[in-house]
Amino acid sequence: MSAAHAGMSAAHAVTVLMEDRLITLTRAVGLLRRRNLPVRSIAVGPTATPGLSRLTIMIQSDDTAADRAVKHLQKMIGVREATTFAAQDGVARELALVKVRAPAERYGELLDVVQLYHASVVDDSPEAMIVELTGSEAFVLSCIRALERFEVLQVARSGAVALEAGSHTYEDSHA
Amino acid sequence: MTELLTGAQILCRALLEEGVEILFGYPGGAIMPFYHALPEHPELRHVLVRHEQAAAHAADGYARASGRAGVCVATSGPGATNLVTGLATAHMDNTPVVAITGQVARAMMGRDAFQETDIIGITQPITKHSWLIEDAEELAEAVHQAFAVAQEGRPGPVLIDIPKDVQNQKVDGTAVDGKAGRRYGGTSQPATALPPYRLSAVQEAASLIAGAQRPLIMAGHGIVLSHAYDELRALAEKTGIPVITTLLGISAFPESHPLHLGMPGMHGEVHVNRAIQQADVIVGVGLRFDDRVTGNLAGFARGAKLIHIELDPSEIGKNVPVAVALVGDARELLRQLVDAVPARTCEEWRGEIASFMRPRAESFRGGLSPEGILEAIDQAAAGRCTIVSDVGQHQMWVAKLFRYQRPNTHITSGGLGTMGFAVPAAMGVVLARPGEPVWAISGDGGFQMNMQEIATMVQEGIPVKMAIFNNGYLGMVRQWQQFFHGRRYSATPIWSPDYVRLAEAYGIPGWRVETASEVEQAVQAALDRPGPALVEFLIEQEANVYPMIPPGASLSEPIESEAGSPRLAPV
Repeated sequence: MSAAHAGMSAAHAVTVLMEDRLITLTRAVGLLRRRNLPVRSIAVGPTATPGLSRLTIMIQSDDTAADRAVKHLQKMIGVREATTFAAQDGVARELALVKVRAPAERYGELLDVVQLYHASVVDDSPEAMIVELTGSEAFVLSCIRALERFEVLQVARSGAVALEAGSHTYEDSHA
Repeated sequence: MTELLTGAQILCRALLEEGVEILFGYPGGAIMPFYHALPEHPELRHVLVRHEQAAAHAADGYARASGRAGVCVATSGPGATNLVTGLATAHMDNTPVVAITGQVARAMMGRDAFQETDIIGITQPITKHSWLIEDAEELAEAVHQAFAVAQEGRPGPVLIDIPKDVQNQKVDGTAVDGKAGRRYGGTSQPATALPPYRLSAVQEAASLIAGAQRPLIMAGHGIVLSHAYDELRALAEKTGIPVITTLLGISAFPESHPLHLGMPGMHGEVHVNRAIQQADVIVGVGLRFDDRVTGNLAGFARGAKLIHIELDPSEIGKNVPVAVALVGDARELLRQLVDAVPARTCEEWRGEIASFMRPRAESFRGGLSPEGILEAIDQAAAGRCTIVSDVGQHQMWVAKLFRYQRPNTHITSGGLGTMGFAVPAAMGVVLARPGEPVWAISGDGGFQMNMQEIATMVQEGIPVKMAIFNNGYLGMVRQWQQFFHGRRYSATPIWSPDYVRLAEAYGIPGWRVETASEVEQAVQAALDRPGPALVEFLIEQEANVYPMIPPGASLSEPIESEAGSPRLAPV
């Protein structure tokens, strides 16, 4: 399967297609805690199918631990599909909102950073602006580091959502 | 014509549709509408326990003995939380238990109402699934799903939480009548059916077995759960491979059989553990290679290739690396393996194992030994009884010294190790196997955890025969203190009431046995008297269970006797 061999730790995405009920979400997340998985981020949101949501968990582990997590998730009632892939075998993106302040004389410099990272200013209040940026975890971190040259007041990150490369979809096979 | 039914009435009907005959429960505020409806259905026998924990254990015992789901009922809040230990016990040992709890009315939920607790949240990691019923229309279907989930695949406990106003809610009963409410294909099916086992894997397993010099079969609870007794025996007899039974696999293979070896692990016999350490192929069927079985994983069966036959794919490779995995029902897979494997014998290997055997170390001074007591129990019932054990030293003696011949006649809390299990679980076993003697064997510690259930037995006429192995200590903990804590017997001496007078207070016969010569007569008398009965055995106070693999050590490092026990400085 992936390039990360058993025993080698790498970023893995575990994606879970499940009923969009809080009880199912609680059970799935509880399972990660109980099985002691090294979770880096968790994101959940709706899918193209009404009534189903997708939970994306990024973990830092070897293939074996990721596969075991999937096997446990597949046993859960309310879970339609659970899969895992090494992050390098798919696309993982997250969104961040950064509230940042710069003195008037460095305002132009701040806008240059925003532009450099293809980010956008989504709120420009007199005291501070909110910058929206999207990308891989590394890209987002690098942008936040760049913004830290100014005064960063707050950061909100979504955690990654991820899809495996290729054409398979659950919706295709179960519509 | 529409018939209006309350949620409580729908619940009763759905239980009847599932073939439920017995419920173990305890009423309270939030479950009262259900108890109001219950007398309308005299086919549903309700057993009023004295503590909800006992209801869960009794439902568990009923399920283990009958193979069908056991049902327990409690009110919200403390009633529900008292079920928790019983549900965790059932979860660890894969027993189908359906727990029904009352909940505060929907409008009150989330406001810390009187006797409100988030029982779904509390039991989430110890149930296969749970349902909060928000509308009586959903109730029948949820009950049918709950029974299906509890009993199908790898069994386990489930919980249905029903707010009081939903129990009182009136809905059109015709819509939920009969089993029309069943919709297993609906949204609550698990994601994956079992992956089909590869036929080639059966062949691989068969050729590993054919080429093995020192093969072993390790049989676990899965044999009991899938009723694969005949298939297990067929595999052993066709290949001559000796059979080890784990704690929950005990009685899955007749102990009089020449191929029966015994129990492995922490208190396994030396020859069994040595055989594991010498084996080159181990066929593990329906077990999960628990740490009490393997000892230190790094030193477990290092020369052996493992063939793991297991229903749950997430168990494969969880604790030990597996050479060939056969995922599916043990009975079906064993049948295929028996067909695929060539007939052979293992005479030389069995001779080698026999040479590992040595006389068991004398752990008892005086004559009143567990062997003698268990022998008398076996004799008195002419080999036709079920033994329910508690947790501790006596549990190991009962596991190792009783000669189990019939399948599923040894019932114990293996995974969770729940003290207090035996007495209430035995009530469920008796009701599942009426007319057959059932002994609840406990230590003096575990017995005192749930001895209030004698009242239930008396009120309900449940003839549990209770044996107490009284050594005045929490014996297993004391043994660990002796070996690993410099004999500092901290909080392990335990006082007991006068059990004979306790029996008398409950109106049942009781005997105290102090010498070996009294054993037979007391056991026979307890069996002959109708109804519940109690026999206390005053056994050697500081006897130990040998052999013992110290925690963290490998199966090759047993403590075999007093002389071999570590002498540690006080820590």
